[in-house]
Amino acid sequence: MKRKLSDSGLENDHPVSTPKRLRTALVQANGSLNGQAPDSDVPYELPPTPHGQSTPKKANGIAATPLKESGLKTPTHKSKARNLFATPSKPKTPSATTPGRLKNADRSAKKKSARVLFEQDEDGAWDGSEQLAEEILQGDEPEADKADEPAVDSVEGGDKETASKSEAKAPKRRAGRPKGARNKRSPTPEGELPAHERYFFQNRAGPSKTSNTTLNKVPLLTHEEYFDKLGQFVDPCREEKEYLLSLHHRSFPQWYFEFEEGFNVCLFGYGSKRKLVHEFADWLYNRSVPTNQPVIIIVNGYTPGISIRSIFATIVTAILGDDAPSKLGAQPTEVLELLQSALKARPANEEPVTVLINSVDAPPLRRAANQALLARLGATPRVRLLLTADTPNFPLMWDISLRDQFNLVFHDSTTFSPFAVETDVVEEVQALLGRKGRRVGGKEGVGFVLKSLPENARNLYRLLLTELFSVMDDGHQSDEEGAGDGAKNGEENGIEFRLLYQKATEEFIASSEMMFRTLLKEFHDHQMITSRMDPSGMEILGVPLSRDEMEGVLEDLVLG
Amino acid sequence: MDPDGLEDALELARDRSQYQGVYVYQPAKSGKAPSERPSKRRKVSSTGNGGQQSGAHCFLPLLDGEETAECVQLRHDTYKQLWSEQEDKIQEILEDVDAGVLTDVLSFVRGTSPQTCNGCIPTALVTVGSNVSSLSRLLSRLNDQLITSGEGGVVVLESGDAPNLKTSLKNIIRAAVTNTEGNDGYQKFLTDRSGPRLLGYDLDLLHDYVQRKGTKKLVLALRDSEAFDPGLLTDLLSLFKSWLDRIPFTVLLGISTSVELFESRLPRSCVAMLQGKHFEVQEAGNCVDRIYESLQAEPSGKMWLGRNITSLLFERASDYFLTPEAFSRMVKYAYMSHFFANPLSTFLADSVPSVMSRGRFCEAIRNLPSFRMFCEDLVESGSGNEVLALLENNEHLFEQALKHFEAGQQNMRQIFQAVRLIYSCLQYTQGTKKTSFSDLSVKALSGELSESPIVDDMLAIVRTLDSKKLGQVLETLPKEMFDQISLGEIQVELRILQDKYAEFGPLRSEYNINNSVVKTTVVQQRIQLSKAKANLPEHDIEYTKILDLLIGALQEYFAETLIPPQDLFLHEAFLFDLRNPLKETFVPRPRFAIERAMTSPFDYLFSSPDASGARISAKQPATAILYQLYLESGVLVNVHDLWKAFHGVFETEQGKKCDDRIVMTLFYGALSDLKSFGIIKNSRKKTDHLAKVAWMGL
Repeated sequence: MKRKLSDSGLENDHPVSTPKRLRTALVQANGSLNGQAPDSDVPYELPPTPHGQSTPKKANGIAATPLKESGLKTPTHKSKARNLFATPSKPKTPSATTPGRLKNADRSAKKKSARVLFEQDEDGAWDGSEQLAEEILQGDEPEADKADEPAVDSVEGGDKETASKSEAKAPKRRAGRPKGARNKRSPTPEGELPAHERYFFQNRAGPSKTSNTTLNKVPLLTHEEYFDKLGQFVDPCREEKEYLLSLHHRSFPQWYFEFEEGFNVCLFGYGSKRKLVHEFADWLYNRSVPTNQPVIIIVNGYTPGISIRSIFATIVTAILGDDAPSKLGAQPTEVLELLQSALKARPANEEPVTVLINSVDAPPLRRAANQALLARLGATPRVRLLLTADTPNFPLMWDISLRDQFNLVFHDSTTFSPFAVETDVVEEVQALLGRKGRRVGGKEGVGFVLKSLPENARNLYRLLLTELFSVMDDGHQSDEEGAGDGAKNGEENGIEFRLLYQKATEEFIASSEMMFRTLLKEFHDHQMITSRMDPSGMEILGVPLSRDEMEGVLEDLVLG
Repeated sequence: MDPDGLEDALELARDRSQYQGVYVYQPAKSGKAPSERPSKRRKVSSTGNGGQQSGAHCFLPLLDGEETAECVQLRHDTYKQLWSEQEDKIQEILEDVDAGVLTDVLSFVRGTSPQTCNGCIPTALVTVGSNVSSLSRLLSRLNDQLITSGEGGVVVLESGDAPNLKTSLKNIIRAAVTNTEGNDGYQKFLTDRSGPRLLGYDLDLLHDYVQRKGTKKLVLALRDSEAFDPGLLTDLLSLFKSWLDRIPFTVLLGISTSVELFESRLPRSCVAMLQGKHFEVQEAGNCVDRIYESLQAEPSGKMWLGRNITSLLFERASDYFLTPEAFSRMVKYAYMSHFFANPLSTFLADSVPSVMSRGRFCEAIRNLPSFRMFCEDLVESGSGNEVLALLENNEHLFEQALKHFEAGQQNMRQIFQAVRLIYSCLQYTQGTKKTSFSDLSVKALSGELSESPIVDDMLAIVRTLDSKKLGQVLETLPKEMFDQISLGEIQVELRILQDKYAEFGPLRSEYNINNSVVKTTVVQQRIQLSKAKANLPEHDIEYTKILDLLIGALQEYFAETLIPPQDLFLHEAFLFDLRNPLKETFVPRPRFAIERAMTSPFDYLFSSPDASGARISAKQPATAILYQLYLESGVLVNVHDLWKAFHGVFETEQGKKCDDRIVMTLFYGALSDLKSFGIIKNSRKKTDHLAKVAWMGL
């Protein structure tokens, strides 16, 4: 992007030429080595057209560094930068030329640097902006100083530090702080800081500016496309992952030995361990004598709506077979006790029951009560428990007494396999981006629901939408910045509950609050409205649709 | 995402087991096998080729799979035997520790009745402190005792079982009935009764049961009584109170804070219904120390835990309130690891078959660091021929190894005897702060004890003891010691001396403070203090001689016995001192593991060298790439920029070939992974922004 910009700049600029061409070459050489722009003391000129192409490369020499190419720096800055530089403020200077621009930029950088040095502050010290400022000002020193600079830089050449330094320098060339400057601050402080200091370093208050770009222009994935594209992807690490899995296979006898000795096993680490667990079940099954097959129960903890009682009940029926009582009891503890007495009654030579639980830390099983019951299952003699945990902080689920009951040994079984079944990826991401509502079917979905609702409800929704639009438009006028992104979404802006009720009564949509609430309930059930509490405790109603969609729905409502 | 995983997912989707919450495992049908066949075959062959299907099926042949089946079996059996011995010792200690409280509580339960308590509910308050597991041990033994004597039983109620009054009553009644009758008995009990069917929480049921069984004591134990809702507890207690004339309740409350705190949470009216006694359970730390001592310092010990493990165990015991059970489980795991993975552990078997001298076994011995050290010592002492023989002759090596192995074991036993000696001496010499046995053991196991200040201080104090005290100290020392040091003679001499000078009272040595005088002289208007030995009477001089003899003997003994066990040849076979399997399995660092997997995935994925060069590369798993980008961000992350950066990683490496949408799917997957780790969440501050929640290493 940047290259293009410079190119276009050059095409206009090439006719400009000045007497001191000889020096330019030198400076150029310096500059290209440094990855820095030459200082403004040197009357910096563009070489004639044929060589012209080389200049931007030098000026943007930084762009060749991997960091920049990786797009770490947001593209917006650059486009803004172009606007800034493209408008020549002083007609006298050869501002139309690239060197002129650089000169301007340099000058402003210097001005700014002086200011930074003048108002030395804490934040600057953190950012390293002071250091940067000093560097820029030092660049002002006579040519002689420059001579040794390339050498210094070439020592660091290829080093990432150089890259990031020069990158940090690039945006300095325009007035004002780069918006993403916060992002560029190195998250790892220099030197060894103790852990608590590092926490404060990373949490320090400072300009937390991020760019204002949104994902609006990027088409998001649907479920179908996601799975379609996923099928086309070829994993570069496939062999390594298989090898890793085979390493884990080698610990099966060890896990079995731990089972034999009364321990329960917990596997943790990154990656889905479902396949591994399944293969362990295969292994357990294959090594047993055919006459005495082990009872293996597999639990998928990530399944929404899974209950502890159903786990216990499955184990009971697996042990007792047809002897299981028809009524197991409604409470999980009852079933557990039944299970315990059933296990006690089993002949001693039979294989113990093995329960393999995938994702024991998944939300459906995460509750403390559930974990306590599982711990009691784990403490039951002749029950072997293998748990897998996916989150980094799962041991927090268990206090000492639970840990004691579980009697776990832990093994790092990082597999790197994707959580394909455990999580609904598209769903999760949409929730993360606050686009949950789109899942109802967006505009069409809402329209469809509205069609099946009575007149009153439709009117209320129309009212809600119109009110929301007026709120958004108000917001647009009053708060320029917030409107830029906030007003796009009906969820962000909202209307106060009381206010809407008042309007609704005025329009004879709802005669009582009861009725009003009933109508809203209907919307709520279809996830057509959102409700949240604002800091003052008022209930704010919103619509989980983007502005465009809201407009569409309103249009249909009014026209239909 | 690997297509294999996807394929697998799709395949599994067909049988839908993955979306089932819970199911009984069914072996894979043959049609599904091809992809898994190789791994299966490998498993079967590795367990099968030893032919150890009988008992040791979970032990694998070591030494590159060349260990013979007998050796594997031997290792397994030795482990079983050794550990069962140790476990018995632990059980004994636990029973011994509990015995005091148990008899107290039992006699309280037997001896009290509502009549003796002025009509109140007889209540035993048991404070357990950090010794969490002791109460359940106590309760189960109490239950056994009461059941065998036919007096009644114990019903244990946990706070989790008591969400409301109805459920807790129901649970109590069911637990009381199933305790003696079993589950079927309870069902029968509910149905086989005349008259109207009672509901599960009707205390009439319990009354009926008590009458039928002739129960005299029904102990209701609330294990974690602080966790109960006070209101519920009050209701329960008042109910019991009103049934007290029909059902002989005794309440046992487990308290982990203090009785006062517990009492203050209950209303007065409720407290007034209770009358009873307070029992205290011994602290866990003491118990753990005793267990450790019995495991390590037994004169018949065969295998020992090294310094690293000891310090790890005690660190954990003090940091995490390790219960004695958990402690012994960790020790058990150490034993397990030793026998599971160390082929030399076969030496610990009662009789080592000579067939072992063949093959790889001797090669393994020759590779030991301690063997190398041993040989170096031999060479230095000029027996180079011996080294040659050891290196070339398997039979000879094996013989020597056996000999040294036993000598080493003997050495270890002596070390712990010395530790015991010091420990019992310290009981006399140390004042308030006693050094624990485990601390001494750690020092001894690292070979620092004989020069440690503890021993020096101890000897210095022994010097100042008078004859009476010294006699006491010598009395308490373990008897085995008398053969090794000339303690017996010293004791005899001391006795003779004491008898001889009985009229002078206790004898004092010249080191005793009473036997030195302080001279005060005034020199140039300053006072100079100088200590000098007082003129000692004859008997004290003789006593000093004996004392010097004793100290000398002790010092010599310590210097001789307390050698670092790491210097012993073949210590690898009888000393287990690897921190790691133990630490990793009991103190996991899941967060570190995930962070490591994310930041340097090639630690796990052993890959071609070219991929490890660049810090972030498209060859890494998507989540790892995104995580590293995430690490570089601030508190707020713009998703669009994050996406651009992520995309850029692939774009630079794959150029035109890279498909935006595929990269997008990877981005989605990675984002959802990070979300499930709980390190990002949606931010309300700006559109399409994420809030960073976790920082690496913090």
